[in-house]
Parts: sequence; C-alpha cells; structure tokens
Amino acid sequence: MSGISYPKEVIRDLVEGKLPWSQVKSIISGYKDDDRFEKYIQVLQEKVPWPEKILLPLTDELYIVQKGEQRITKCSCGFEFGDYRVNWKLNALIHVRDTEEELKELYPYPGAPDPEYCEMREYYCPGCGTQLQVETVPFGYPVVFDFLPDLDSFYEQWLGDPLPNKNEFKDLTSQFIKKEWFTENEKE
Amino acid sequence: MDKQKSIKGIGYGGKLLKEMLRETERLYRGTGFYYGLENLPLWSDDPLKLELFHGKLLAAVIAGREMARMISASPQVREVAELAVALYTPEGDCVVQSTGLLIHIPIIGRIIKWMIEQDYEEEGIEDGDCFTSNDVAIAGMHTADVYDIQPIFWNEELVGWVGTVIMEAEVGAMLPGCMPCDATDRFVDGIKFTAAKSAVKDKHLKDFERRIRFGTRMSDVFLLDRKGALAADISVRREVARIIKEFGADFYMGAIREIIEMERRAQLERVKRRTVPGKFHSPSTIEVYLANSPVPPHHRVDRITLVPWDFHIRPDGTYFIDFDGTGDWGWHIHNCTPSALEGALSMILTQTIAYTGKANTGTLLTVQMNVPYDTFVYPASRLLPYCNQFAWPLKGGPKLMVQQSHAFFCRGYVEEVRAGNTMIAAGGGMLCGEDHLGNKEYSFLSTEPAGACGGGAFAIRDGIISEAIFQPDADMGNVEIWELMLPMLWLGRRFLPDSCGHGKYRSAYSVVSTFLIYQTPMLALTTGPSCQTTRIYPYMGMFGGYPGPNSFEKLLTDTNSKQLIAESRPLAHGIYSAGGSSDLELNIKGKLVVETRNGQWLGIVKDGDIWQCFYGATAAGFGDPVKRDPLLVKKDLDNELLTVETARNIYCVDAQYHADGKEWIINEKGTAELRKRRRTERLAKGVPVKEWYHKRRQQLLNGEIPYLLRKMYNESLSRGEHWPREFRDFWCLPERFMFKEE
Repeated sequence: MSGISYPKEVIRDLVEGKLPWSQVKSIISGYKDDDRFEKYIQVLQEKVPWPEKILLPLTDELYIVQKGEQRITKCSCGFEFGDYRVNWKLNALIHVRDTEEELKELYPYPGAPDPEYCEMREYYCPGCGTQLQVETVPFGYPVVFDFLPDLDSFYEQWLGDPLPNKNEFKDLTSQFIKKEWFTENEKE
Repeated sequence: MDKQKSIKGIGYGGKLLKEMLRETERLYRGTGFYYGLENLPLWSDDPLKLELFHGKLLAAVIAGREMARMISASPQVREVAELAVALYTPEGDCVVQSTGLLIHIPIIGRIIKWMIEQDYEEEGIEDGDCFTSNDVAIAGMHTADVYDIQPIFWNEELVGWVGTVIMEAEVGAMLPGCMPCDATDRFVDGIKFTAAKSAVKDKHLKDFERRIRFGTRMSDVFLLDRKGALAADISVRREVARIIKEFGADFYMGAIREIIEMERRAQLERVKRRTVPGKFHSPSTIEVYLANSPVPPHHRVDRITLVPWDFHIRPDGTYFIDFDGTGDWGWHIHNCTPSALEGALSMILTQTIAYTGKANTGTLLTVQMNVPYDTFVYPASRLLPYCNQFAWPLKGGPKLMVQQSHAFFCRGYVEEVRAGNTMIAAGGGMLCGEDHLGNKEYSFLSTEPAGACGGGAFAIRDGIISEAIFQPDADMGNVEIWELMLPMLWLGRRFLPDSCGHGKYRSAYSVVSTFLIYQTPMLALTTGPSCQTTRIYPYMGMFGGYPGPNSFEKLLTDTNSKQLIAESRPLAHGIYSAGGSSDLELNIKGKLVVETRNGQWLGIVKDGDIWQCFYGATAAGFGDPVKRDPLLVKKDLDNELLTVETARNIYCVDAQYHADGKEWIINEKGTAELRKRRRTERLAKGVPVKEWYHKRRQQLLNGEIPYLLRKMYNESLSRGEHWPREFRDFWCLPERFMFKEE
C-alpha cells in the first residue's frame, strides 16, 4: 500500500481534465493512491442525474449500475442498454461512414479507408445522440464487444467487498441476438 | 545433480549452461516463483543494499547505450537512438534494461537461450567473445536489427550476458535499405548472422569483417555500429565486474534473480491495483499486395490476413492474450512470430504500467499467450523473409495498449489512459543509387520520423507531438546530420492541418517533411513497408474518438525547382496550409506521383526533384469530438493546425477569423446550436443496430463482400478453435458456414 490519498476535489478535477499539468505530472510520477476507485465512484455518482449505484464506469458516458436485482449498462443521460453482459452496442444507433464525402471530412488526404473493405461504424446513444464509440473493422466483422468486466471477481478478490447476487461472467451477446432478433422459424 | 557433468560447465559453480537453464525452468514451473524464490532473503536482509545494487546495474546499461550511440556512424542511431542495451542472467533472463528500443529486450534473451540449447558451450564460449545475430528464424523484429551479445565471466565462470541491439539502415538485401518490400523468402532479405561468433578477446574476427565488407552496401556504417555495440557490451561487462567486486559474486547471483522475482510480483500487484479484470476483444488486419510486384510468380498474391485477439485480465493479475482465429502466414515480409509478440509486450508494458525502471523478464512472466502454430503469428516455415516482423506489433500493439487503458479508465486512473498510439514508423523510404558525394554504391534508409509520428490522445488531454511508443526517447534528429548521409536537402518540416485523430481530446498532429533531391544523377526510392494499412484502418480510438489518417507520400519529378532557386522564387515547404492551398501544387511544376503505402517502388529521382512524406499513423482521439472544449479548437485554429471546415464539420464549432487580432473568435451561441443540431442529426440518421445487423447478415450470406475479405474470413474460420464459433454465433450462421470464394 502506498499510503497516498488525494482529496476528492483533486480526483474530480483530474477526471474532468481541469487539474493543472504540474499536478497531473506529479500524480503520474508518484505512487498510485490506494483509494482512487472509491473516490472516483463518488465523483461520478455526484455527476449523474439518476440514483442507481454505479458499480463500474465503462466509458466516459456509460456506466454499469445496480438497478434492483439487475446490473445494467446506462448512459449518463439515463438511457438504459440492458444487461451489462450483452454488448451495449446492440441497443445503440449505428451509422456507417461509407461515402467518399463522409470519409473526406475526416481524412482529406490520400489514404482514406476503403468503405468496400473497411467499416467505420459510429455508435450513438439513442437517448442523447452522443457518439459513444467509433469502430473501424474489416467489412462484415461482428460488432466488437470491447470489454466485458469480471465484476464479481473484481469486487470480491481485488476490492474485498463482494457484490450481492453473483452474475456468471459470460458474454451473453449472441444469446441475446438469437433470442430477441430472430423469430422461432428464423432460428431454424 | 550429476557432479561429473557439473564440473565440465562454464556456468556459475561449474554448471553446464543447459543444466542451469533447465533448473531455472523447473523451479519456476514447480513453484510459480522465478528461480523458486518463495522468499527473498537478500531483500529481507537489506532492501537498500539491493536497491543500490539495482541502481548500479541500471546505470551500467544506460551508460553502455550512450557510448554505442556516440560511436555509431549512422544518424538513425546517433540522432534517432535506434538502440538498446540489457543485462541477462546466465540462462538468458533479462535483469535490467536501458532506455531505447524496448521491443528488443526479450528477443536478446531468446537468442541466448537458443545458443544454450544449440550447445554453444561445447563449441566454446570464452571471456571476450561476441555473438552477433539478426536471424529472425531464431528471434527478432526484422533483419535490420542486429544483436551483439557478450558473455560475462567472473573468475572464469559465466555469470551473465550483455546484449546490445542497433538497427541498421542497410543490410545487403535484394533492394536497398534494410526492408525490401518485394522479398518473399529469406534468401533475398539481407546478410544474416545466426548467432555467429563475431569477436574473440574483444576484437572482431577478420572473417566477420570481410563478410560485412562484401555483403552490405554501406559496410563502413554497419561495421562501425558493430564496434559501437561491442564497446557498449565491454563497458557493461567491466562495470558488472566492478559491481561483483563490490558486492561479491554470491550476492550478485542471488540478487539478479531476486530482482526478477520482485518485478514479477510487483507487476501482478500493479495490475490488481490499477485495472479491472475481464475480457477485451479486437480484430486487426494486415494487407499485402504483391500481385503486380516483381516477385517470383508463385508469390504474386494479394492477401488480407485477419488477426483477432482476446485480451484477458485475470483475477490473479496475469494477462492472457489469445490469438485464436488468426489467418495464414504467407510469402511476404510481414508475418509475425512469437518472439515479435513478446517484443511488442515488452514495448507496451514497460511504458504503460511497468515504468519504474525495473522492467525485466519478471514483467513478462505475468503474461501468457495462445499463439497458434502454422498461422500468421507463428509461421510454420523458417524460409520466410524476415524484414518486417514488427508489422503486427506496431499495428496491433497500440490496440493492446488501448485495451489496457480501458481497464485503467474503469479503475479511475484516467491519467494513464492512452487512446491508441501511432502504429507505424511510417514515411521515409529506402534509397539507393548515387549519393551527393559521388558514391555510386549508395544505399540507406530514411528513418527521420521513427520517434516522432505523434501520440494518441489521453483521457484528460491531447496527444503528445513528436512522440511514438516504439521509440520513447527519440525525436526526428537534426536535419544537418541527416543531410550528411542523404542526398537530400530539407525544404521544410511542418504539421499537416487536420491530420490528427479527432476527439474530445485529439491525437497529436503529425509532420510532413519536404525534401529537395540534391546532387544525385539517379536515386531510386521505395516506400517503407510499414504496417500494410492501405484499405482497412486499425480499430483505434476510445469512446467516440476517431483514428488519425494514414501516411502517404508525394513525389514530383522533372521539376522547375532549380529555376525557382535561380530566380529566388518560393519553393514548397509543406503540403497544405490551413487555407487549403498547397505550395507544392502552387509553386512546383513537374510530374506528380502520389502513393499510399502499399510497398511499391515510388520511382527514380534526381537532382532537383521534390519528395514529400507525411508521417501520420492513425494515432487516435478520445471521446466524442462535439464535446471538445471550443477554446481548444480555437487554439488549433490559431496555430493553423485545423481548418475552419473541420472545426465546423467535426467539432461543430462556429468560428470566424478576425484579421485585426489575427485570431479566431468562437461564437458560443452558434457553437451550442451546431452541437445540439448534430446530436439531433445523429438520432435521425443512426439506425437501430438490429436493423443494420439483418441487412449486413444478408450481405454476408449472399457473399456480397470483396473476394479478399471472403478469403480472409475463410482462413480464420478454418483455423480457429473458438473464434469461428463466435463469428458464426454472432451472425447466426450455419454451423459449418464458409464464404464461397469463386
């Protein structure tokens, strides 16, 4: 244990990019503070407009929260994406940049991606229109599940504070697709 | 232990090196602790003494590296610092490493282990010997990286090894420079030393020197680098002798092993304290276009290879990287190897989590990998050309860094988060022909940008200009030094506007260099092979940020530059200004050639022609660009790094130029409206993923994707264990689904 701890205000400013570089540099160069996660969650919990307990921030806009018995992925705007073990992107809006004009906006020089081979997928939150992720993959690649956290191991083994109602650490995305997006006949 | 065998050995205590290697492996396998060190007696007894000991070893390898740099004749060593030095145990495990090319540290260890396995001890290993290796069939990143390795003896017993790596600019391959794009087997990719004895009693063998004299085009440079590397090794060796004298041989042998075990434990602790366990996934691709290249007919193939991987952070703090589903290896220079993957990990971990100055073999002991044999990441042939094995480490490696960053972010250590780094030492190229001094055997590599492509965004600030993960302490070097070696004069180095990966925090802008070809009647140029990104961008960027642009080159031959110089009229200094006009197009008349990086000949140039390289390399942004602070956008506009069109289209910032103050003024109300409108537009144009999914699935079922991608997917579908099942499950495809290739 490093014995180092920063005030919550410092963590808030750090997360929001407002901490002066000299202090950021000092934090980077020093030993890590032991209670960062605890204060990080406090700072984030104060920022969101909803009451559910944040279990883990997944991105700068998405959180895994405890909602009743369930653990779901939720946007800071309040939009809910469902079980955190199903790739949240399935319940987002998608736009693929596949015209020369759209790609030129980003890449005005020679060497832009070829939309016939490369999909530049933009995922938006259906609640607030925030661009949550940009995925550049070969055409036809499955929607990428960027990160499935092992929440129970994290809380139990690393934080020493087990979560109630253990969830199996399992990617449920394909199961969800088959169940929710296909009729019984189509499944055959 | 067999006493009779032991007394024959040159290792510490009279052991055979192979015995020592087996014992080390057995102890680790049996106990889970490096060298079976469940307890750390030296650390427990006097931690400060061990710290001091470590500090002295670290200072020795860093001093050795600086010595080699000062002796080298090559600007890429002296200016760009393409080298590193490290100290190893008798069994080839790294104890301490210098700064520099960190990607090579585990590779030197692999070469030492290979020499032990090959019974070099029976052939004779003596104090003052040097072994030189650049044969990637043993281990390596590419043929140009030459490893010079010396044993370290104390009282006639081998107590360790020291290794120095220097990247060469010319290796005597079929094409000039060190990375021949059109090599398709190992017999044409340059001179090779397969861990060959190159020096005795600290003096290079005449035969070794003759091989270099007759086997490379710029032998003076190659040889002087060997002298520099040997000097670095000797310097470290002598310093180690002083340290052993000070601390005692038994302390030395115990301490180097404790240092490794301590780092192993420290790495596991760091992972547990800074990350979150779980599973990450990403695909990457390597594109190879040789169908129209001058290679043997049976190697004229275009191909795209898929390299998907799962990155697991396990609850015990170890990492597991699973390359299941990787496609085929091929007859081209970009195949990866297990040693190259280890190198990539060394490069990433040392700079992102194990940056205490103590990274060594212990760091990497915490990582396990599944590297399927007979695939792109572990080719089944030793006959492949090995001059670009860093293609995947530099293209996929930064994404591994992003994944680890994602875990840092979830845990709250936002200051450590990097949204992908530049993926290639792009730009520049290989040169051969006649130089500005009349040398008709000229051949060299321009690696000016190696450490200066620009880094990816952080979670709390923009990316760092002139930074690259593969060469952390280098910059572009002094133009004046480069100009001594290259028949080119620099007309400009400028940032290319709009060339970053956009996001709430953007990646660094990258540089375009403009060269006037100087006093050569004929110089041939090939583009550097880099990472084979022509059509498919790597999946970089975090949380809504975009990957930056790919690199490219422009060449104007038969130009009017001499006339412009004679008339004192403007030349070309950059590609575009923020106003959108190009001084190249405005001022220079000539035949224009534009190339993306597909590994082809760029052309023949001569005195007066103009060549431009953009070194951008897809370093990516963090967060939704419309959340970027408008004042940061203003700053980029004021610095002519951003065009007003991009400010409006990507960042939704309403800005107007005020000529009086020579600055851009942000219209806050207009910006807020633009951003509100953008979100509404997204909600209107974005379709539910379910809808998109069914459309895309039908296209796949109909085979409506390019042939190269069908072939790419089929390779992975037929080779993988679980990846094929996951692909088919996601798209709800039949159990044995394959794409039709006809």
